[in-house]
Amino acid sequence: MLNYLLFIATMGGLYGLLALSLNLIWGGAGMVNLGLAGFFAVGAYASAIFTTAGHAPIVAGWALAVIAGGFAGLVVTLSTTRLREDYLAIVTLGFAEVVRLVAANEIWLTRGTDGISGIPGPWKSALGPDFNAVYLLIVLAVLGAVFVLVRRIDRSPYGRVLRAIREDAQVAQVAGKPVLRFKAEAFALSAAIAGLAGALYAHFTSYIAPDLFLPLITIYIFLAVAGGGTGRPAGALVGAYLLMLLLESARFFVELVPAISAVQRAALKELLIAVVLILVLRLAPGGVMPERIPTAPRPSTQGKP
Amino acid sequence: MILLQALVNGMVSGTLLAVPAIGFTAMFAVLRFPNFSVSGIATLGAFAGYLAYSAGLQLAGALAAAFVVAGVVGLFLDRVAHLPLVKQGALPAAIASIASGLVLENVIRFGFGNDLRGFDRPIARDMHLGDIRVSPQQLETMGIALALMLAVFAALAFTRIGKAMRASADNPELAALKGIRPQRVAMIASFVGMGLVGIGGMLLGLDSSIDPLTGTRILLSIFAAAVLGGLGSPTGAVLGAWLIGIAEELSVLVVGSPYRTAVGFFAILIVLTLRPRGLLGERAY
Amino acid sequence: MTRIAFGRRTALLSGVAAFAAPAVLRAQSDPIKIATLTPLTGAGGPYGPVMAKVAASVVEDVNAAGGVLGRKVQLISEDDQTNPDAGVRAARKLIDVDKVAAIMGTWASSVTTAVAPLCWESKTFLCTVSGADSITQLPHQGFLVRTQPNSTLQVARSGEFMLSLGARKIYTMIPQTPFTQTTFDLMGKLVSKAGGTHQGLVYDDKKTTYRTEVDQVLRSNPDMIFAAGYTTDTVVLLKDIYRAGYKGKIIGFGYSINQKLVDQIGQPEIVEGVYTYSPSPDEGSGAYDRVKKVTGLANPDPYTCQVYDHANLVLMAIAEAKAATGSAIKDNIRKVSQGGGKTVDNAVDGLKAIAAGQKVDYSGASGPCDFDDKGDIVDCKFRYEQIKGGKFTLVKIA
Repeated sequence: MLNYLLFIATMGGLYGLLALSLNLIWGGAGMVNLGLAGFFAVGAYASAIFTTAGHAPIVAGWALAVIAGGFAGLVVTLSTTRLREDYLAIVTLGFAEVVRLVAANEIWLTRGTDGISGIPGPWKSALGPDFNAVYLLIVLAVLGAVFVLVRRIDRSPYGRVLRAIREDAQVAQVAGKPVLRFKAEAFALSAAIAGLAGALYAHFTSYIAPDLFLPLITIYIFLAVAGGGTGRPAGALVGAYLLMLLLESARFFVELVPAISAVQRAALKELLIAVVLILVLRLAPGGVMPERIPTAPRPSTQGKP
Repeated sequence: MILLQALVNGMVSGTLLAVPAIGFTAMFAVLRFPNFSVSGIATLGAFAGYLAYSAGLQLAGALAAAFVVAGVVGLFLDRVAHLPLVKQGALPAAIASIASGLVLENVIRFGFGNDLRGFDRPIARDMHLGDIRVSPQQLETMGIALALMLAVFAALAFTRIGKAMRASADNPELAALKGIRPQRVAMIASFVGMGLVGIGGMLLGLDSSIDPLTGTRILLSIFAAAVLGGLGSPTGAVLGAWLIGIAEELSVLVVGSPYRTAVGFFAILIVLTLRPRGLLGERAY
Repeated sequence: MTRIAFGRRTALLSGVAAFAAPAVLRAQSDPIKIATLTPLTGAGGPYGPVMAKVAASVVEDVNAAGGVLGRKVQLISEDDQTNPDAGVRAARKLIDVDKVAAIMGTWASSVTTAVAPLCWESKTFLCTVSGADSITQLPHQGFLVRTQPNSTLQVARSGEFMLSLGARKIYTMIPQTPFTQTTFDLMGKLVSKAGGTHQGLVYDDKKTTYRTEVDQVLRSNPDMIFAAGYTTDTVVLLKDIYRAGYKGKIIGFGYSINQKLVDQIGQPEIVEGVYTYSPSPDEGSGAYDRVKKVTGLANPDPYTCQVYDHANLVLMAIAEAKAATGSAIKDNIRKVSQGGGKTVDNAVDGLKAIAAGQKVDYSGASGPCDFDDKGDIVDCKFRYEQIKGGKFTLVKIA
């Protein structure tokens, strides 16, 4: 039982990282990343390959995952600079598909659909059964650090510029803000966080395969952020844990329904999850922790003519 | 020669894809959000048509059943789950529509299980026109799809309601001033758009087989076709569907079938870079 | 807002209640818990439900005959969604909350590889039907057996069979799976040794038409097509091969080309003469007939047969060990699966014999079920069948 709770808490933390990543650009700058699973995969594969085939230490793998995720994010935003901003959504969706196809078909690099197994966990053999608890602490520490980082960004002048871009990019441009640079930076940072989440995932479960990175995970994270509250890092975190709670408690709930076949039970579970998500979107617009727009600082009179 | 054959194959599958893509793009034009529940609606249409066909209805009757059931359920979901969210923006509505698609998929799974089902229709060997071969059934389904497309375009061009739809897609405020009731137009767009998606699902099922994931398999292609053609443009959706169909078949010859979705997306990236509004999009939203 | 808070609290409560229940009720007379983890949704959806059903029927029979060690058996069926992430979460729940002794029926190789470490770390026994060679090479410390012959064995046997049918120009059409590369390498070697040629094409299993793929294949004029996909894509593929006017031979896996596929296509001439092969017990096996009866299928697929065997083996191993733990199953499964003794083909008979102190040797619906140290089956016969007039007719068992 304890192991199960530790496991769910760790998974919730990893989903939380992804939710923070999405919130940074969606809630922050109004950019839509339908390819979250792709950046998650890039990080997971970068770290897994580097630490298994390359025998690098785990921390180096994680660092590489951050760099690889951020780099992939830059490539994606820069390849869309000539496009209308709305189309970023479809390009990211395509990016995630391409990542998954490469992971499945370029066997020389990724071991194909076999996946990469035996990815080392930090001090795993020494810790034995305590591994899950220690890993949860690691994930929570990373989550806390990222949370503090994005909240600082959120409240800084930088975050205000991002929000200005979200509300009206043209006005921000006219106000002299380099909109493109801001967006590229924010997107790369967000992708780097997703990459880090991927690496943490890989070293936790010790196995990754292309099937892990289906669009379903992106959908889940969108639902978590929308349910928790867009535009507020705490909302994203709460949303991620609520989502995990929903996914897991649905499992126990359908066990109470008598006299249906296994496949009907599974269908009912998925159905229940989807219905609850629609209800949350409908009944709590803005999520359970809606965005608080800070009042604009009063323009000081001094220094003005 | 195999190149020409691949082009023909691409046209055939593109035409089938065009029907749901028109529905998707028409809904976008009026309702202003990408309705991803088309995955579930296409499956629903396929199952409704399958049940009607198994109950002894002719093909036309089964298609009508697919249209009506998909249209009614689509309209209901739009009213209950999606449209109330549009005022917060297109994205929340789009997210809710993904969840509705999952709901439909699992309702069907609950009722029918995962087993494959097929329309009991005769399959014939292909006809040969010179070196090119075409399948009589696929010609038939293609004919149905083309006839439907013509009907849709005629309705948009000549009927009052069609004109009202175009008007309110172009400029909702102006249309409202002219006495076009936006609510009614929206409902018709939901019903007809989803009806077309339902028929699209059934046409696909005629040719392959149906199960709870039928619509999910074509969701990306529908979306890609609509974006490529310019979201909101029915003619564009047809063109986009053909392009996607052909690109996917040609990709088999060039990079191999596993990378076909990637080829579709690169086509989109290139087209949108050169023509930011899509092939025929008047405005890009 | 308040309504949401309420919904959240009830969800939480039901979750907590479910967590607490097993802990309260842990007594000697507790049921023995085992689980299936099969794909009930997602791409493996056509296979998983009947697998869960056949395992439930074994448990039902055993309970009707008095259970195991005087305890009832409880079967819990979870869904792996054909996705390793969902599979791992489900397995965690089965292992830590339900505390099952064994998990049976994992199907996708990716799910099995993801779930296996949880099993051996928690000393839970895992029975799988995944075919990828790499699975039994995992450091599973004995906590894993698989009843599916590994892909090397499967492909080697099918290749020999194709050659014996006189095929010399063989084309393999296959989606991207863990055994795609193995299949190409092995078939290439086998066929060229016999003086033939082999080519392969990888296709996308989500496509709705394979006309261009078929054109590509038929250009080289093969006399045998090895259709190595799963049912969903093979339905479309076989129709397109027929339409293209192909007159040569076709062969495919028994899990893909099965009665459901034939019924689904509905037109006997499309599948006329198509060969299939599956791992098989000797002719006239009682277990195979029982699976036919339980599932109502004239031609139950090999996965279903294998899960039937998993459930029987696990329950007999528990009886043999007189303990319902994963370690007990690990140490005793080979005592009931092989090594001579009274031959049994179901757990009810086996449990009686074990209670009477007899040594049993199980021979099941998927074959003799004898395992080597790595958990692979030692030897396995294959049943080769050909479709004639819409019915599967036996060619040979060898």
